[in-house]
Amino acid sequence: MSSKRHSIVPPVSQSGPKPPVQFSSSITIADSAILTGANLITISTESVIHPRAKIESLAGRINIGRRCVVQERATIGAVGSAGKITEAAVTLGDYVTVEVAVSIEAGDTIIGEGTTIGVGSRVGAGAVIGKHCTITPHSDIKAGVRIPDYSVVYSNGTRRVDKRPVAEQLKYKGLARQIDVLRRMIPSNPAKFM
Amino acid sequence: MSSRRAPRGEYIETDTGNKVARKATLVGTQNIMLGGKTVIQPEVMIRGDLIRSIQSSTSSSAAGAPPNNTAVAIGRYCFLSRGACLRPPGRHYKGAFTYMPLRIGDHVFVGLGSVIQAASIGSHVHIGARVVVGEFAIIKDYVRVLDGTVVPPNMVVPSFTIIAGQPARVIGEVPEGGHEAFELRELYKTVGNNPHPAPS
Repeated sequence: MSSKRHSIVPPVSQSGPKPPVQFSSSITIADSAILTGANLITISTESVIHPRAKIESLAGRINIGRRCVVQERATIGAVGSAGKITEAAVTLGDYVTVEVAVSIEAGDTIIGEGTTIGVGSRVGAGAVIGKHCTITPHSDIKAGVRIPDYSVVYSNGTRRVDKRPVAEQLKYKGLARQIDVLRRMIPSNPAKFM
Repeated sequence: MSSRRAPRGEYIETDTGNKVARKATLVGTQNIMLGGKTVIQPEVMIRGDLIRSIQSSTSSSAAGAPPNNTAVAIGRYCFLSRGACLRPPGRHYKGAFTYMPLRIGDHVFVGLGSVIQAASIGSHVHIGARVVVGEFAIIKDYVRVLDGTVVPPNMVVPSFTIIAGQPARVIGEVPEGGHEAFELRELYKTVGNNPHPAPS
């Protein structure tokens, strides 16, 4: 019996040619992240892409703003039910956190600044989520839905507006600190995707 | 029989009886502690790379001792089903961001595709499929978490309760004498490179 575990991480299925990318020099992207598609993927300053996160630009451009965090197994630009090719498939604003196993479908989908998409949620094609929203885990945002700024989506579909006074600067500072720690923990290899 | 078996087993069995699937994604293996007899199925992901970035001054007893970098500690007879994800919770502490270790007791079952970011999970806990346990939640012993539950961050779940819902609520208690159902010794034997059939 072999006691040594040889392949810790199974080979990442890098299907098709590498997509064109435009990376800022300060991003952190894990070696085992998966980038596919034919359109441009832009990742701005200080964003973090965790291992095994998947970014697909099959159906259009993907724009990821500044200081975004895309956690493991999240899929950005999944070709959903609509399946049509658009100019900008998915646009993430600045300070967006996309948690584990989230699926954001392609088709002019826009996520506003400072929004958090919880674990296992699905954002349908063409959905527009405003600024500083909180989408709790396992929420299903249907295709084409518009969610206003400062909304909280919970209990799978119930919505309310967060009326707490927002401390945006504090939140940004917190995220910046988190990214600072992540940058030290995740070995970055942007050259692999260039 | 031998022709049907893959040349290399699907699982790697360690000396302490852990059965780790080759297709599991373990990041930062040096920071993951397995107590023994734990099953890790394919497609499980454990983030051992998210270690504590601030050392607590109280826990390190001997000065100069190597820092304790354990990110995920799992007890004995745990069962991590296909697609489960364990990641240490992170928060701001003393003006800086740090991840904190995730501790799991013995006989803990984690269902298909569940994401665990708890601070601690006790022993004899059954977590169903597609469950999300939020950051710094604490689940005590003998708890049953039903399928699809979303345990919000920082929730403390008392012993012998059944929880469900989105967000999670206590919906019942584990009945008297219902402890036996949490035993995972038999389940442990049913997986691996030469599994025993499940007792009917």
